[in-house]
Amino acid sequence: MGTVIEVEDLRYTYMENTPLAHQALAGVQLSVEEGECVAIIGHTGSGKSTLIQHFNGLLRPQQGRVRVDGQDLSDPGLDLKGLRRKVGLVFQNPEDQLFEKWVGDDVAFGPLKMGLPLKEVRDRVRWAMEMAGLSFEAMKDRPTYALSGGQKRKVALAGVLALRPKVLVLDEPTAGLDPRSRKELLGRIEGFNRREKMTVIFVSHNMEEVACLADRIFVMAAGQIVAQGTPREIFGSREVLLQHRIGAPETVEILYRIQGLGYPVDVGAYELDSAAAEIVSILRPQGVKSHGPGI
Amino acid sequence: MAREFELTRNITVGQYLPTGSFVHRLDPRIKLLACGILILAIAFCNSYGGNLIVLAFSCLLFRLSRIPLRYGLSGVKPAIPFIVILAVLQLLFYGDIASGGRVYLEYGLIVITSDSLRLVIVSALRFIEIIFVSSVLTLSTSTTQLTHGMESLLKPLGYLKFPVHEFSLIMTIALRFVPTFAMEMEKMIKAQASRGAEFGTGSWWHIFRRTKEMLPIIVPLFRVAMERAEDLILAMEARCYTPGGTRSRFRTYQTTFRDGLTLLFILCFSLLLWMYPFPY
Repeated sequence: MGTVIEVEDLRYTYMENTPLAHQALAGVQLSVEEGECVAIIGHTGSGKSTLIQHFNGLLRPQQGRVRVDGQDLSDPGLDLKGLRRKVGLVFQNPEDQLFEKWVGDDVAFGPLKMGLPLKEVRDRVRWAMEMAGLSFEAMKDRPTYALSGGQKRKVALAGVLALRPKVLVLDEPTAGLDPRSRKELLGRIEGFNRREKMTVIFVSHNMEEVACLADRIFVMAAGQIVAQGTPREIFGSREVLLQHRIGAPETVEILYRIQGLGYPVDVGAYELDSAAAEIVSILRPQGVKSHGPGI
Repeated sequence: MAREFELTRNITVGQYLPTGSFVHRLDPRIKLLACGILILAIAFCNSYGGNLIVLAFSCLLFRLSRIPLRYGLSGVKPAIPFIVILAVLQLLFYGDIASGGRVYLEYGLIVITSDSLRLVIVSALRFIEIIFVSSVLTLSTSTTQLTHGMESLLKPLGYLKFPVHEFSLIMTIALRFVPTFAMEMEKMIKAQASRGAEFGTGSWWHIFRRTKEMLPIIVPLFRVAMERAEDLILAMEARCYTPGGTRSRFRTYQTTFRDGLTLLFILCFSLLLWMYPFPY
């Protein structure tokens, strides 16, 4: 275990030296440990997308330092191809990027570009498709344009997974999906992190998602990290939530309201089960043990 | 290197710099007319003196509209190869036609005279002046204003059954989507680069390979464009758009005294350029 991504005082200005210049990052400090699942939250325009584009070298630091797996991104001789294989970046609405006629071919694009032997490519495509929740045998010869939105997104995800990245970066992975696909995709992402030991970094506006997936949360505002901590620390602190106008998961909202009514509940209990246990604890008189998670 | 994906910065078509200057506030119709007249005058003016005056005047226009001259220069940059090629061709082969003045060099077909030299320099200057003047126009006028201005200037053509409104609608939509597709393309290039795609590798004579490298961008971009077009159609129909209908406009342009004065000034300036016998 070690630090896999380290960002120090990163600044980035779009259209620098023009009257339309816009500073997107204003001194970002952040570090991500290997094997972590990290969420980046913040309002539109707070610099989240600009930040994550630094992780695989799509943008190079204008000021400050970014180190990914020991490599300095300011190094002019940096192996960009290698870096992009190491850090897989899935853009917002990745289904737009499919271009091959057949699903299998599209997933194979990355591995083929790496110059791998055909058998290895096939193995990777099979693995990536199964990981993304697509049956290799049933789906590889389907035309990409005839898929549903959720399936297209899985294909795009598989296309990045086929690079076998160490770090997976996702920009609003569940935006625009129906609740079922959303839940399934979240389960998959959790699997990449827990079972495949991938480091996962994701951007999200959905606090339920953040609460149930992330080990750590970074809150961004105006191009800076303004708060960081475990979900418990972030959602458990009313000041942080109010100051940065972050929405809280519904569980936390309910607990805050109960606390406001004068009951002693732990507002940091954001998970569904522990929030339920908190509510049960005030419903039952002291000393009586509840049997397992109620409700 | 950090700039490799910043596409939007390189697109100057439809770029509008709102500085709120005098030039910005002019009636777009007047601006279009004035720009047209000025370009005509530039095309007819073939003395060094006149062209230097126009060049100074177009720099003054930048100053007046509070737009950095750098923007005009960045418009000239992509035209430099054309200007150079044109200049070389004129220099080498126009000696016969512009045969007046002193002969500097005569070698077979190649004749360089003082008149052909003047032609070369003047046409390069004209090129730059026209780019400057039209840059001021597009940088100080939003695309909506431009197309509305164009539409009302073209209105008389409607009597000849020319579809003026449809024409300007097509222009508006086309211009409106240039930055949108530039952004879309930037995103696509980044997304494909993230999956290991490479662009522009190999020398230019590997045309086939270089074209194939663009497929992962072109195919999705086409699909996105089609989808956007369909959305646009739906949105227009949902608002009961009917082609050929008469419609009023939220913003109507009122030509003021100031606009008239500007037009008069440009007219006089252009006439002067055209008629005045500059000594050089």
